[in-house]
Amino acid sequence: MAAPFAFAIPAHDRKLIPDGRFSGTMSWVMAIMLFLTLLAAAAAISLGNAANQGSDTLASEATVQLLDPDPAARAAQQKAVAELLRRTQGVEAVTVIPEAQSRKLIEPWLGEAANDADIPVPALIDVRFDSPPTVATLRQVQQSLRRVSQSVRIDSHASWMEPFVSLMQTLFLLALSVMLLLLLATAATVVLSVRGALNTHRTTIEIMHMMGSTDIQAARLFQRRVALDALFGGMVGLLAAILVLWLLGSRFSALEPGLLADAGMPLYGWLLLVVIPVGVAALAMLTARWTVLSALKKII
Amino acid sequence: MQSVAEFDNVGLRYGTGSETLTDISFTLFPGSFYFLTGPSGAGKTSLLKLLYLSLRPSRGAIRMFGHDTVTMTRDRLPGFRRRIGVVFQDFRLVPHLTAFDNIALPLRIAGITEKDLQGPVSEMLSWIGLSERAEARPAMLSGGEQQRVAIARAVIGRPEILVADEPTGNVDPEMAVRLLQLFAALNRLGTTVVVATHDIHLLQEIEGAQMMRLEKGRLSDPTGSLKHPPRPLILKN
Repeated sequence: MAAPFAFAIPAHDRKLIPDGRFSGTMSWVMAIMLFLTLLAAAAAISLGNAANQGSDTLASEATVQLLDPDPAARAAQQKAVAELLRRTQGVEAVTVIPEAQSRKLIEPWLGEAANDADIPVPALIDVRFDSPPTVATLRQVQQSLRRVSQSVRIDSHASWMEPFVSLMQTLFLLALSVMLLLLLATAATVVLSVRGALNTHRTTIEIMHMMGSTDIQAARLFQRRVALDALFGGMVGLLAAILVLWLLGSRFSALEPGLLADAGMPLYGWLLLVVIPVGVAALAMLTARWTVLSALKKII
Repeated sequence: MQSVAEFDNVGLRYGTGSETLTDISFTLFPGSFYFLTGPSGAGKTSLLKLLYLSLRPSRGAIRMFGHDTVTMTRDRLPGFRRRIGVVFQDFRLVPHLTAFDNIALPLRIAGITEKDLQGPVSEMLSWIGLSERAEARPAMLSGGEQQRVAIARAVIGRPEILVADEPTGNVDPEMAVRLLQLFAALNRLGTTVVVATHDIHLLQEIEGAQMMRLEKGRLSDPTGSLKHPPRPLILKN
């Protein structure tokens, strides 16, 4: 089987280091490594994005609960509190949650009973501040709302979503570590492969050496082949990764909006995925060059 | 006259063993022809390896083309190696290259373009009588044919010094004389030639050639010319 992109190497250099003895499985190993690296990178980017978006959004949001047992009083208080919030400095948006929607939230636990008028559900108001409010700000807002209703309670989203954001950040670091380990493993694969190829072609290299070939000339024979193998592997890995990510994306989009809704891939993420195979090809090339030059230093 | 090679009290030891070469001192002058003789194991190949910069000596000084090559940094050696043509005893042809590509190798290493090397390589193949076998790999060539390819490869770059280790060992007497004539022709163009050989008859083929004799790692100088420029060569036809 001819090595991928063989046309990019001058014919006489191809003859010196025949493809069949070197690249063969190398490009497919690179494809697998790149596929896994890209999946890890995609996970890291998506989770990082989710953690950032989640923490940014959550830090500025709070929910106001009105717990008055009387439904009519609760509805009136909800309206008055919403009005008061809209006039409060630093509040960007106020969303009154209809009672039907509140009941829908408890439906998974209570079933049809959730719609029973005898079961009191708190009146909810979502508040978004123009900047993340401090604890003191929230306390101040709560005190001013108490003038309308003594049963009012205000909860910052950040407090109950913090474990989720923390989990996302941990998973992000884990995915990033996996990606870095895979890059290291890819470099190690290149070193082993080049050392093997150097052993196979030691006689050729020694003969060239005796004829005045420089170390750089010898290294070039290997580094170019490795870079092209890595580039081919990168392209195959990228296509496979895009396919898998597209399938996963379609599964995620079928989910109800919720905690994972933010775990999408931003545009810069897709661009980064395209850049990674090129970066890995460059890394592989430099690793091959370093390996050959280090080995050749041992002969005079 | 600047020497091509100058050895001064050179010693060579492999690992911790005894010295393979001891107190070797000689000077090779441009345009001279030398035969290196001696029994097997005398150190001829080791001496040639020092000459073609494949080894560094354990002691002593070596100057090639006026430069100290013992302390020279690695990155400067390739430039000197390109000025030296080598015919290895075991030919050392690249097994997966054709005869044409093996001969073209030094030119490609030197950066000669494909267009410019076609003519000289074809001409060389014709001269060694292997035009028809240009695309044959070494495994498809006889021992004598491989040796001719090895010699062609050594001389294609018009080296300033040609070092040949038993170059006629695998060819018939007629071809041996033809090869020596090629060396003599190169020598007439100014190339210094050093031929290691067992074949005492070859010594008579080139008049004026100097003889270096190695015995047990020590060099004797029967013609007394190794320290002094030899007289101009008169080559037999």
